[in-house]
Amino acid sequence: MTDAALCAQIAPPRIGERLADALLSGRGIWPAVPAIIVLMVVAVVPFAILLSLGFSDIEISRGDIVSQTFSLTHLTNALTDPLYWITFQRSLNLALTTTALCVLFGYPVAYLFLVGGKWTKRLILILTIAPLLTSGIVRTYAWLVILGGRGVVNQTLMGMGLIDQPLRIMNTHWAVLIGMVQIHLPVMILPLIAVMSRNDSQIMEAAENLGASRLGTLRTVILPLSVPGIGTGAALVFTLSYTTFVVPQLLGGGNYLNAATMIYEQVVFSLEWSKGSVSSLLLMVSCLIVLVCIALATNHFTRWTKGREA
Amino acid sequence: MKVLRKTSLGDALGIGLILAVAIFSLLLLVAPSIIVVIISFDTRAFVSFPPEGFTLKWYSEVFKQGELVEAMLNSLQVGITVTILCIVLGVPTALACVRGRFRGTTALSVFVLVPHMVPGIVLGVAVLFAGALVGVSPSIWLQSISITVFILAVMVRTVQSRLMRLDAALDEAAANLRATSFQSLRTVTFPLLMPAILAGAVFTFVEGFDNLSVAIFTHGFRDRPLPVELLSLVQFTSSPLVAAVSGVQIVLAIVALILVSMSIGLDKVNE
Amino acid sequence: MMHGPTGPSTKVVSTAPVLSIGAVSKSFGSVRVLEDCSLEIAEGEIVTLLGPSGCGKTTLLRCIAGFWDADGGSISIDGQEVAPVPVNRRPVGVVFQSYALFPHMTVAQNVGYALRMSGAPKLKADETVASALATVSLTGFEDRYPAQLSGGQQQRVAIARVLVMEPRVLLLDEPFNALDAKLRGSMQVELRQLIKTLGLTSIFVTHDQEEALTMSDRIAVMRAGRIEQVASPDEIFDRPATAYVADFIGVSNFWDAEAQGGQVALPDGKTIETDLSGPVRVMARPHNLRLAPPGDGSWTGKVTFHRNVGPLIEYHVESSVGGAIRVAAMRQERARPIADRAEVSITVIDPANCAVYSGE
Repeated sequence: MTDAALCAQIAPPRIGERLADALLSGRGIWPAVPAIIVLMVVAVVPFAILLSLGFSDIEISRGDIVSQTFSLTHLTNALTDPLYWITFQRSLNLALTTTALCVLFGYPVAYLFLVGGKWTKRLILILTIAPLLTSGIVRTYAWLVILGGRGVVNQTLMGMGLIDQPLRIMNTHWAVLIGMVQIHLPVMILPLIAVMSRNDSQIMEAAENLGASRLGTLRTVILPLSVPGIGTGAALVFTLSYTTFVVPQLLGGGNYLNAATMIYEQVVFSLEWSKGSVSSLLLMVSCLIVLVCIALATNHFTRWTKGREA
Repeated sequence: MKVLRKTSLGDALGIGLILAVAIFSLLLLVAPSIIVVIISFDTRAFVSFPPEGFTLKWYSEVFKQGELVEAMLNSLQVGITVTILCIVLGVPTALACVRGRFRGTTALSVFVLVPHMVPGIVLGVAVLFAGALVGVSPSIWLQSISITVFILAVMVRTVQSRLMRLDAALDEAAANLRATSFQSLRTVTFPLLMPAILAGAVFTFVEGFDNLSVAIFTHGFRDRPLPVELLSLVQFTSSPLVAAVSGVQIVLAIVALILVSMSIGLDKVNE
Repeated sequence: MMHGPTGPSTKVVSTAPVLSIGAVSKSFGSVRVLEDCSLEIAEGEIVTLLGPSGCGKTTLLRCIAGFWDADGGSISIDGQEVAPVPVNRRPVGVVFQSYALFPHMTVAQNVGYALRMSGAPKLKADETVASALATVSLTGFEDRYPAQLSGGQQQRVAIARVLVMEPRVLLLDEPFNALDAKLRGSMQVELRQLIKTLGLTSIFVTHDQEEALTMSDRIAVMRAGRIEQVASPDEIFDRPATAYVADFIGVSNFWDAEAQGGQVALPDGKTIETDLSGPVRVMARPHNLRLAPPGDGSWTGKVTFHRNVGPLIEYHVESSVGGAIRVAAMRQERARPIADRAEVSITVIDPANCAVYSGE
């Protein structure tokens, strides 16, 4: 290699190349700009508009807003309306019960995943991920088939001679609850599995070597270590079951009003924009409050994850 | 030690109870879908159990119903649009979040997550109202872009977690070996990200195809997507037709499951 | 093959350094990781940056490669400042600690990568790849993927991959870390011979003193961002410039003493010359000390422990001066080693081989 060739090799780059690199290399914020713009236009601005609609009186003529003035009437109306209180309370009860039952039924599956062999683990993964890839309506429809008047449960019970009239399960609180738990169970199991497979398997062996029974190991070692997974799972299950629309609509028979179905009716059938906005905002805020509580509780039980000074 | 200590009865019972609940839960997860598939082959015109015969007529019926076929095609279009938009918007965003050298990379990754944390129906209502204010009425396109915004976080997170696990030295090696930043992105980073992009594509496609919470407010009145069509069908029909549609969807889910397990592996879904 | 008739190592005969580093410094936030580092490397020389983790050796390497920019000072190759030259145009080849082989490319694709990126014609590139693989004895492995190779083979692919660029300087970042201990020894010798045959000017980063002593023409010992001493392996070992270097390389005994009138008195009664005065620290290597029966000297102690180290026996002696002193003696066949707890006296074999550093 000659000196001239070497100089050419280590010459500074051309401006154009530098520019293309700066835009495409991912060191700057540029690659994210399209996504940021879309999120601004389709999420942030709509939320701002939702907020403004909830706090104003509007006059609509032929689909256009003629006037808009600031007002708290819709909020105070909602907060003093007993129907709101009953509906939100029902949603909250349903979601909290669902969350608790999902922990109760999901945790043993995660434990089985922890102690099970390779094929058990694989089977559990398939059975929990497959429902997530299946339509919620399809999964809810299955419960119509099972719990309906001529459904699996009634046919079985009648066939065994335990009852002679079909039980009315559909369109009750129980039908909704069963459907909710089954549909949200995978969302609970996955974070639990994630947090459990992160733990060192030798910790369990250490506990047993130190004389703990299997139940004792579960209670004193595995359970405390999996609290973060319970927290994540509970937050996800709560958000989904608190705001779900499909299950109450289908298994509740159209007259089981929860917050989500109420918003649907206000927005789509009665076209009450301000009411719909206020309900949506209340749903979001109340959901957030519960999520903060879950996060605080999780934090309290996982103080050991904090730094040394704690 | 171990040999000397006998397992106590209480311990065995407790563990047995836990494992029994686990098996019950696993059955609970899978049984309803199996029952639906069985029902879909029933010869009777109403839903009952156990079935009294075997026929494929409900499946052929599905593809004879103009509205259902149209709804499926609409959902297919939404699914594909959402997937493409999520790849185009999400992959560069994940790159900026992980590789970015600007202040606010953390803020950016949180910002992308926010629409996903908001309940779907709230996002749907907000987009519907905002659109109405500026004169954009619900349509298949409004539906697609809204679901994109809702599910973008999943694509970003999937790609992000893979990107964070890539050896940073690979990129430096490429640079040392004469590659420009763009060349290194094209020849090293992208090929290694492909499994994550594929897995993200499966999840975003399924969301685009099946989403109801956002779609119910934003879909066009003439282009009803499958979930909306199904919702009314389930409420007002009692034939095994819906079971057959469900059967088709379950097959799609199995295909999706296989794709995910081949791309990133099922145990990575959590990240 | 890399250096045909026009190759730099055979043709260019000059005394000018290939790489010169002048007063380079670098900080991350308020942490100073490199301070005033200067080093010149001649054509075909292998220089090792040696130090504990966090001493700045990898930072200096990354500044030379261009992954990071130095805050101050200059780095030049063949007299040309490289600061404005971006990473992908520096005539520098890096062998990474993890090797950073592209897992989705075959061996041939990995090795040909640099040629494809700089747009070399395909025929010529294939030829170059084949001869680079021949150089590292990996002919026949073209279509394997990195995951199908052993650690040693991966290392050779990583070297072949930078060889095709004909770099002026080869940078090796702890290249033996990923190999198991047994393989390291033979790989070190092999790698040194390969680099010497190719005549590549190289910088080698390690925290392992044995590796440094095997691989290098010269060693630069680094401490907290500074270069403490640059010298040949022999000189570093025999005449460490500072107490730190003495402590870091090989086994050393230290004790405090007082310098008076250009002389320091050793505990066994001998003396050594020094330019220092006042409190000093004296260093003696274990093989410069000898054990004798207790009555023979004024420096006494008691053996606490002994062990066999190859042909030597190393005694740990709790002594009146300097605390725990280590003494090495040749092992004699059929002779019994001195028993633990035995009273002994210690003498210095050659005072001239002791080093004196100013006391802190």
